[in-house]
Amino acid sequence: MRINTSILVVLAIVGLTACKKQFYDEDVLVDPNGASVESVLNNATRGQISQLAVGVQSSMRNGILSYYRETGTVGREIIYSASTESRYFNELLGTQAAQYNGMNDPAGIMNTYYLNYSSLRRRAEILIRSANNTTALTDQEKAATRGFAKTMQAYSVWVLVNMQGKNGIRETFSDLSAPGDLLKPGKFGTYESGLALAKTLVNEANADLAAGGTEFPFTMTSGYTGFTTVPDFKKFNRAIAARIFLYQKDWAGVLAALNESFLSLTGPLQTGPVMTFSTTTNDQVNPLYHVPNSSGAPFVAFNEFITDAEPGDTRVFGPSAKVAQRTSPRTSGAVTSTHDVTLYASNTSSISIIRNEELILMYAEAKIQSNQFADAIVALDRIRTAYGLRPLAVAKPTILANKNGLIDEVLNQRRYSLFFEGQRWFDVLRYGKKSILPLQGTIGANTFVVFDNFARPDAEVQWDKLNP
Amino acid sequence: MKLKPLLLLILLMPFTVFAQSGFVASGRVTGAQNNPLSGATVSVANSNNSTVTDATGNFSIRVSNGARLVISHVGYAPKTVNAAESMNVSLDEENTTLSEVVVTGLATTTRRGNAANAVATISAKQLTGSTRSQTLDAAMQGKVAGVQITSNSGAPGGGFLVRLRGASSLTQSAEPLYIIDGVYMDNSQFGTGAGTNAFTGAARTPTGSQDNSANRIADINPQDIENIEILKGPSAAAIYGTRANAGVILITTKKGRAGKLTVNFGQDVGFAKALKLIGLHKTKWDKQFQFGTELANAARLTTLKSTLNPTDETWDYEKIVYGNTGALRNTRLALSGGTDKIRFYAGGNVMDEQGIQKNTGYSKNSFRLNVDLKPTSFIDIAVGANYINSNSDRSFSGNDNNGVAIGYNLAYLPNWLPQLPVNGVYPKQPLTGQNPLEIVDRTVNNEKVNRMISNYTVGVQLVKNDIHNLRLTSTGGVDFLTAEDEVYIPDDVQFQAASANPGASRYTTNRALNTNLQGFLVYNAHVGNFSFTTSAGLTQLRRDVRLNYFQGQGLKPAQRNPSTGTVQQASETFQGEKELGRVVQEEINWNDIVIATAGVRQDRSTLNGDPKKYFTFPKASLAVNVANFGFWKIPAISQLKLRAAYGETGRSASFNSTFTTLTDLIIGGQAGAGYPTILGNAGIEPERATEFETGVDIGAFSNRLRIEFTVYNKKVKNLIESYNLSTGTGVSSIQVFPVGDLQNKGIELSLGGTPVRSRNVTWNTNINWWRNRSLMTRLIIPEKVVASSGFGSFGTQRLREGASPTAWYGTPNVNGVPTLYEDSQPLWQASWSNSITFLRNFEFSILIHRSHKNFNSTLNQEITDEGGSSPDWSTIDKDNNPLGQSRKLGKPGITTRQFIVDASYTKIREISLYYTVPKTIFGSFANKFESIRVGVSGNNIAMWTPYYGYDPEAANFGNRPTGATVDLLSFPSSKRFFFHFNVNF
Repeated sequence: MRINTSILVVLAIVGLTACKKQFYDEDVLVDPNGASVESVLNNATRGQISQLAVGVQSSMRNGILSYYRETGTVGREIIYSASTESRYFNELLGTQAAQYNGMNDPAGIMNTYYLNYSSLRRRAEILIRSANNTTALTDQEKAATRGFAKTMQAYSVWVLVNMQGKNGIRETFSDLSAPGDLLKPGKFGTYESGLALAKTLVNEANADLAAGGTEFPFTMTSGYTGFTTVPDFKKFNRAIAARIFLYQKDWAGVLAALNESFLSLTGPLQTGPVMTFSTTTNDQVNPLYHVPNSSGAPFVAFNEFITDAEPGDTRVFGPSAKVAQRTSPRTSGAVTSTHDVTLYASNTSSISIIRNEELILMYAEAKIQSNQFADAIVALDRIRTAYGLRPLAVAKPTILANKNGLIDEVLNQRRYSLFFEGQRWFDVLRYGKKSILPLQGTIGANTFVVFDNFARPDAEVQWDKLNP
Repeated sequence: MKLKPLLLLILLMPFTVFAQSGFVASGRVTGAQNNPLSGATVSVANSNNSTVTDATGNFSIRVSNGARLVISHVGYAPKTVNAAESMNVSLDEENTTLSEVVVTGLATTTRRGNAANAVATISAKQLTGSTRSQTLDAAMQGKVAGVQITSNSGAPGGGFLVRLRGASSLTQSAEPLYIIDGVYMDNSQFGTGAGTNAFTGAARTPTGSQDNSANRIADINPQDIENIEILKGPSAAAIYGTRANAGVILITTKKGRAGKLTVNFGQDVGFAKALKLIGLHKTKWDKQFQFGTELANAARLTTLKSTLNPTDETWDYEKIVYGNTGALRNTRLALSGGTDKIRFYAGGNVMDEQGIQKNTGYSKNSFRLNVDLKPTSFIDIAVGANYINSNSDRSFSGNDNNGVAIGYNLAYLPNWLPQLPVNGVYPKQPLTGQNPLEIVDRTVNNEKVNRMISNYTVGVQLVKNDIHNLRLTSTGGVDFLTAEDEVYIPDDVQFQAASANPGASRYTTNRALNTNLQGFLVYNAHVGNFSFTTSAGLTQLRRDVRLNYFQGQGLKPAQRNPSTGTVQQASETFQGEKELGRVVQEEINWNDIVIATAGVRQDRSTLNGDPKKYFTFPKASLAVNVANFGFWKIPAISQLKLRAAYGETGRSASFNSTFTTLTDLIIGGQAGAGYPTILGNAGIEPERATEFETGVDIGAFSNRLRIEFTVYNKKVKNLIESYNLSTGTGVSSIQVFPVGDLQNKGIELSLGGTPVRSRNVTWNTNINWWRNRSLMTRLIIPEKVVASSGFGSFGTQRLREGASPTAWYGTPNVNGVPTLYEDSQPLWQASWSNSITFLRNFEFSILIHRSHKNFNSTLNQEITDEGGSSPDWSTIDKDNNPLGQSRKLGKPGITTRQFIVDASYTKIREISLYYTVPKTIFGSFANKFESIRVGVSGNNIAMWTPYYGYDPEAANFGNRPTGATVDLLSFPSSKRFFFHFNVNF
């Protein structure tokens, strides 16, 4: 007994000692599922820079569903008729605005665009920092990279500031990659200062692109075909700039920017960079596509889009129309729709970022505002005739010299040309014409409200409460 | 560190051995009806000396002159008697025994009568003696004070939320740690993908949080279990360290008994019916045709009616889908036997249960072998192995964004619309969504689990005499499981046909390997009236998980293989952790009168920011058996124990939370990457729960009345939660952060007794009552909505300092501040169990459970109102509008008030009547078997609730500590009835 015991104790101690190393070894210390953020911040390789730039191009698509869907409904263009989620045709039409200070639920599901576009902005900033912090790029390539990234930032700021309206957005984040910076976000500005920030960014980008040589040091994906060189991309930058200046009512600025953009009064309307989608593994598909006549969660049009259209408008009627009659109407709460949205032919169809058609319309608007009606009418007729409508001189002779009439005409052409592209609601707000939208006020037992802006997300409100 | 336990031992060594004169005491121990009791423990008071009775109840043991023997057996009240050379002892049956041992350390136990915590135990008889719950967690429902167990949905195969003494964590799973025979069990709720975009689209994440899957404790066969011990809070569970924040559930499986080979065969057959249906398709549609519904205007309804169904025929689709009878069967065979050197238990179980919905069900095959070896007098070896194979078909229910889930489709379906298949073709649902019968018949949501659990324990008696006892034990366990999921919807099912790439299938393989190893030295010493138990040891836990799936959409016609899909998605995720712990504990027992324990555990884990840093979790407890003092002069009260305990436990953040990883951003086949929107925290430390518990246990009138009263105050400090940042920075949150403190205060009262004990009737009864309230006492981050805690205006939960984290909030937002509503935690719960034996051979038992004033966020009314199918839709309100329209979200005056509703319920959890067939009626066959028992039972057979919906226990978001009780027409739960036949050989 005594011997047995001793042997066992010795064996146990020997055994434990032998196992000690294995017993204490750490198994998992690095993330087995992906690359760390730190790996790209300092001395990134060209491959890593390219990865970040492709990431920015990919990210640009992330907010499009939320942005287009939400503004499409607030602007009374479309309804996301998800029968299992009535908030899409309830909260967005303002039936609960009384409970939420006249807006949407700040903690609800309509706020995803906010993080999407903010993270696009941040990802572009990280690209800039990685590019500046590496020896793998030449100074010229660094400038080109900055020009690309800041153009994307200007675009995201433009979306955010228009969605948030008078709330403004956080305009500075001093040093995005510095430790603790995340805990010190900038203060909220105004609508005007937000647009000014977008302007600064887009102009800085323009200067960087001018110093950026010809080739980007990273892959430009196929959506940018025609805009893959630095000088061509600069034309895209100016198109975005024109959009920003338009909202600032800087009509001369609009015209100057358009002049350096890819505007062509005679060229194809569709020219412009696009967001591409594919069914490649782990890529995204076009989130705005749905099969016609779907009974799941289709995008359907407000009937007014059809009933308000001029006869013969091929954007509304005929085989290339943006809407198509459903086999049976679709009821979404208070709205019954006869037409599906058919903007996209398949779930791999591209979504336009900005195209010649919009540039022409911006040109027309700036010309009207500059009292150069003849130029504007040429541009408007370019659009009208392209879609089977007679020129203004024939169709609407009374407005040819009427500034207000022409503005209404340009807004109307924008309504049909940029249908379900996130601009209708902004347009009526820009001109203080909210009242022209249908479905407002008390109708039956319901009360509908067109928002002035989306609510500041709850996370931001709570942040400021704790960090005044 | 390594030397410390040894040092302690040396310090305690000086007590020397005394030679004592004595004699051999021998005798027989008997139980009810004078049957011999085998396996009863006969121990010499205040010594290590003990033995066990043999198959005929006989024992013999060497004792010193004047020694007293303590005779104990599980299920019987212990007795202390004077030792004699020849003696007979009979023990009385008891419901809750003071003699059973409860765990107080990783390698030590104590008698319940000496425990300083309210340790709840569930015996085999309480667990499965009455009826057959489908899963282990279901079998525990309502049986223990302080434990809230709710079923996430009625879908076959489990999915239960078990919460011990309120929420101990906010981000982590609420689930306690399960340990079976020393094996740390994996209780994950693996994602199947059923809730992802290609299927119900309930959650937009790659592996959905809304898959409505089961948690894997469901695999354990309740019939193999000898007893369950529940360490409800840190004061009892401290010694388990960083995995024990939500409590520990210790399961001991059945062991072989030496002696004659016993064979037990049991067969249960039964059926299941829906516990409650709403009556959706008994609705009158007159007002809908006049006013129109949310999803179809009046004109459309009228046209459809006249074209598709000109007759007045209607169909009760809710009944067609959920009104079926599910056949239940359960067969088991258990063998037990052995010798002094080797004992074994072998149990096999085959269970097959159909659901109340066609093509749903749960089946399980399990086999367990437990072998106990005693090769020499000083070595004990126990090994166990358990293989489990389970298969569940759960269909699609709960939240949905694609029009797939049955609940939504039933709610949106007018009862006059023909939907029954004609020659195999399912008519389309022309209004919205999908023909639910097609989902029932043609889709697959299946999970198959293969699981192997094995354990060993080796105990070596290094020193043993009357005074000293030094034992070395080593325990190890392996839990290996693969859960393979298939989710499939054929290409021509209505909603798929209307998608861009029709036909979707997803195959998921979740593999988890959990191993644990521990080594302990335990030293007992008896000095005079004192006994000391010192233990010290090391533990190691590892977890290695691999989750992968392959999904195809746009499948070739009638193909299930995802690789035929035109759109493919694949993912591979690795998780791993390693945890080391070291423990020292000392217990001092003065004559069973004062028992004091103190201990400390230190843990380190690769899940923490610093994987090499040890975190310390102390504990201390004191129990005083007042009635054991010499001065106690009240014979009616045989036990009066005052107890107090304090302890701390922790919980590390989940895997991945220390890493900040670039997000993959693919476009057009180009690999992109970007800054993540959720950041890791490389410095995160475990959250820590501290608990003070105190109480009193009273036993009176020969233990025919027992009272157990406990109050506790559990504080969780540095609670791990995500830190919501200003989203304007482009980052939504830091995934894990020590955000503040949470307090849980509660009361547990247990009242048991034997009001009647006569020759013909014995009635045992037990009443449990408990409550828990939670409060955020400190919050250093901005107030936030708890992620996945609900749906905006339908109610969500928020973290707000000075408020309960399980309370509901919603509209109106007054100046941006949401309105506070009631709590999802019940105000109190109570259960009442009764067991009555009468006419010698009959036994009746019933368990009633009430949950009082727990509030759900429910969309049941809203969904059925939108669809026009709520039974009272057409009732006209004061403004002459149908209720089905005027109480909807968005109507004037409708706030979140409408959706936060009282979900109190009372359920008859278990009811049974058994009859032990007298052997006399079998004549000459009687010697061919030991006993035959037959019975009938029911499980959840009745429910009383004001709740509108299938079952107030629903929890759309699964096993979450907060925000769980959201209901969107979850799968109805069922009432189950059984006939039992049992024979012993």
